[in-house]
Amino acid sequence: MQDHPTTVVDLFERREAPLHRLADDAGAIADTCHAMALRFHRGGTLRVFGNGAASTDAQHVSVEFVHPVIVGKRALPAVSLTADVATMTGIAYTTGLDEVFAHQLRQLGAAPDIALGISVDGRCGNVLRGLTVARELGMLTVALVGGDGGSIAATSAADHVLVAQSDDPRVVKEVHVTTYHILWELVHVIFEQPGVLTPEVVA
Amino acid sequence: MSSLYPFLYSETTDLDGVLAEVRQSTVDKVHEIVALRRTVAERDSQRMLDCATAMAECFEAGGKLFAFGNGGSSTDAADLANLFLNPGGDDRALPAVTLTGDIAVLTALSNDISFDVVYARQIAAFGRRRDVAVGLSTSGNSENLVRAFDEASRRGLLTVGIAGYDGGKMAELDSVDHLFVVPSASVHRIQEAQTTVYHALWELTLNHIRALGATEHIRDNRATHDRSWSEQ
Repeated sequence: MQDHPTTVVDLFERREAPLHRLADDAGAIADTCHAMALRFHRGGTLRVFGNGAASTDAQHVSVEFVHPVIVGKRALPAVSLTADVATMTGIAYTTGLDEVFAHQLRQLGAAPDIALGISVDGRCGNVLRGLTVARELGMLTVALVGGDGGSIAATSAADHVLVAQSDDPRVVKEVHVTTYHILWELVHVIFEQPGVLTPEVVA
Repeated sequence: MSSLYPFLYSETTDLDGVLAEVRQSTVDKVHEIVALRRTVAERDSQRMLDCATAMAECFEAGGKLFAFGNGGSSTDAADLANLFLNPGGDDRALPAVTLTGDIAVLTALSNDISFDVVYARQIAAFGRRRDVAVGLSTSGNSENLVRAFDEASRRGLLTVGIAGYDGGKMAELDSVDHLFVVPSASVHRIQEAQTTVYHALWELTLNHIRALGATEHIRDNRATHDRSWSEQ
């Protein structure tokens, strides 16, 4: 790529090492997919949350599961906790921003559900609160974080913590997009293996 | 594992084999996206710089950015607008809005007219010369994007399209000034590389504005821009 402008080449190259580190996490990703498939099998719903850029990821994850891009894949129940502006601003105003996800999980969630919290720096107080409450309720908890993993990784706030290892928030987001695309696809791979999830019955 | 999920071993299915397949799949997908981004960088580096320069000039002239897309691409549009508007850190905030965020507007237009006009009508209401319209579509075929680009072009906006596959209908339009096509057959890999394209456009646009040292200049022009609008 020597013929191309250095700035753009550098910008693209910055993306590569964190992705290779994601490949190193293939074992942790497989374990996460397996645990998620078991929860869907028990009738659980995926509940996804995050702030700012990660709020858009939460909505991307919900549409990914509910309306699969690959024809023939079944719809799985997934909800973003970031899309209802009345709820978000209402809870933030009356109780505080730290409670916006925890409150929704407490009222709308149930034990077989999966809570997926996304935080670019791993330091979002409301994502940490959401994961903590979800765990108390008996949900499976999964966190996608970045940088050094922040307080979410340091406190092992989730059953499965996947860290996008970059200090660039934009690169972290891109690794997160690849990660949840892989989570979606591989949950289905596990789902489609006869016998893996039996004898329980899909709700 | 067997003590946690004893029922898994009650069948003939080889769970370890399935998990090994799943692990290999992750490694394969990482290699795919790394290779795809290299292709995009090879093909479009100079074009991304040119597009970012044009976008910086629009912001410098007091313009705003509008972003739009459907489904997963609607979340990219929201992310893109949020990135310009509220980048965090020491990065400069710039005026940007997603056209996917107002449910009242989207459902009103869909119910009363057609989903095909949801972005075009908003461009007609808000857009003006020197604004920037960015539309994202994996297929490149979304009718409401085609109409939005045509409306934006007619009104003198700078138009930027981000598509996948072979670019679809967006590749045939005269109304898209800068088109970036991510050449892949996988919707997922396309979306991942498209995210990099708009992250790159944002970073390069800020670099260009910084190079111009235009901070105050932009603010002055925006006031003039808004005033001339209200006087029309």
